[in-house]
Amino acid sequence: MADRRRINGPVGATTPPIFDKPAAPAAAKTRDAIRKIFLKTGITPSASGSAYLELENPNPKRPGNTSLKLSCTVHGPRALPRSAPFSPHIILTTHVKYAPFATRQRRGYLRDSSERDLGVHLETALRGAIIADRWPKSGVDIIVTVVEGDQDRDSPESQKDDEGWDMMNVLSGCITVASAAIADAGIDCVDTVAGGVAALVCKDDKTAPTIVMDPIVAEHGSILAACCVAYLPTRDEITNMWFKGRLPGADMMVYDKLMEKSLVACRCANRVIVQELNETVRKGQGIS
Amino acid sequence: MATPKSLTLSSTTFAKLSPHPYLLANLQPTDSSTTPTRTNGRQPSQTRLPYINTSSLSHAHGSAVVRNGDTTVICGVRGETILTSAIPNYRAPSDDPSSSLDEARDYDLLVPNIELATGCAPNFLPGVPPTTLAQTLSTRVYSLLHSSKLVDVSRLRIYPEEVGEKNIGGDDDKKMDEAEEIDEYAAVAEEKAVKAYWVLYIDVLFISFDGNPFDTAWTAILAALRDTKLPLAYWDADREMVLCKRSQKAAAPLSLRGLPVACTGAVFTEREKQKKGSGRYWVLVDPDRLEEGLCDETVTVVVDKLSGSTKVLGISKHGGTVVGPELMKEMVITAESRWDQVRAAIE
Repeated sequence: MADRRRINGPVGATTPPIFDKPAAPAAAKTRDAIRKIFLKTGITPSASGSAYLELENPNPKRPGNTSLKLSCTVHGPRALPRSAPFSPHIILTTHVKYAPFATRQRRGYLRDSSERDLGVHLETALRGAIIADRWPKSGVDIIVTVVEGDQDRDSPESQKDDEGWDMMNVLSGCITVASAAIADAGIDCVDTVAGGVAALVCKDDKTAPTIVMDPIVAEHGSILAACCVAYLPTRDEITNMWFKGRLPGADMMVYDKLMEKSLVACRCANRVIVQELNETVRKGQGIS
Repeated sequence: MATPKSLTLSSTTFAKLSPHPYLLANLQPTDSSTTPTRTNGRQPSQTRLPYINTSSLSHAHGSAVVRNGDTTVICGVRGETILTSAIPNYRAPSDDPSSSLDEARDYDLLVPNIELATGCAPNFLPGVPPTTLAQTLSTRVYSLLHSSKLVDVSRLRIYPEEVGEKNIGGDDDKKMDEAEEIDEYAAVAEEKAVKAYWVLYIDVLFISFDGNPFDTAWTAILAALRDTKLPLAYWDADREMVLCKRSQKAAAPLSLRGLPVACTGAVFTEREKQKKGSGRYWVLVDPDRLEEGLCDETVTVVVDKLSGSTKVLGISKHGGTVVGPELMKEMVITAESRWDQVRAAIE
């Protein structure tokens, strides 16, 4: 039955626009760096902590030249409800939700399985960073809203039913933005955790596959495998790792190389977090 | 002997502990030299300056980010097509002004939804069904969209591709027969029948919440609709589906009627529990979250001054018994100055 608490629109099926001609494919540039990250804390004053993250689109076609936009709010730590059983450490709740206009297909308002999946991954990534036993009997809510997903509007039709490779990029962004928001909320962490992605891509069947950092799905012919890592740089620890795809069995080192590349991406993202938090602290000191 | 230290509280602590006396003390200063101000430093009828940025989303056909103080809203408008064959009880639109058909409403072509559960404030957390406030806001926006007839429906109609006309032009050169011409015109008229409609999904997301959700959401919708460019769509008879032209030049903006702007005021009374018509009161325009929590009565006036004279498109009042016709007139005047502000921000 249709959700009667929202406005559902016409009864008949609506279809997103179908174009007569395919769009020109994005020109792939070889980069050996992650995309530029814009990070800002404190965008939601009513929350305990908040952050906003944007990734630059290296080949913009429209005036708005960003590809991934995430907004994160942290509420807590606060007392658990009376009915909740005793917990010796903080209870972490994570929500990841796409906005209806975030991806090529319009998203509904109810969370689907991929969003729940991202939430679970995010929770594991953050749990390793938070010093949980400093807050017994309390809970914290971490909510990430994907304002714009990491998909190209004009990507070729063959990639329309992609296997969710862009989810990897979204997860790494979620980890980075949530880490900044937690620090903004003043929750003690062992380190600022950052996310990074590396992928094994190949242009066509003839060329040998290469490993790239922070892959843009639309730029590459096909992605064979991808790996998303949440990493604590100063402690040199990994809190979460998500690996998927097919690896060529002949080369045993490919797996290690992919991991190493994603760690490099994590360190780059972490530098952005540290810089932004330093700036926030400096601003705070300037006022008081 | 130690003198007992008097208990002093900082103003933020006082505001948290007893918000009502705190706001009252600010509005009723003890010495006459200070002007009564609200806790946020504004005059009672002073609004926050809106800040608007459009076209920032790539997957939406039109989008706007509106910041009104600490309230931040993102609105994305997305067009999808629906075939007339999929609309139950479909009647073809006619140019006859007496026809009672309201396509936008009858065929549900505008779908606004307001989402608060993004953690924008501590009381709006996700994982629960939409709150009463979210449902009310969506419904109010929905009815205002339809009652103001903001979107011109003729731009939402999708016709067959204009190949028929070209053929007729070629035929005309060869032979001119009056009877046949009439036949052909009839054929054109049939071909010109509406085959599909655009449905506009208007989604509003609150990023940060600090009072006055309706005004901010409505401003965001207005700015996003002004920014919306739908690709040129036509009905392809061979494939029996709606196709769109790829080129950006073929994309046309929507045509909007007027520029309705909403202005909300909350009535703050001297006594916490309002008795019938007693005590002083203040109308706080563009209330923030603290003020909204303390006021029972709110007035929203929607005005449009684009045609020169002021048109009132909607008045809604909830709760309380303070606001009468006199105050309503004052609210319309406040709304007029708010209209100038929003217009300057939009353009």
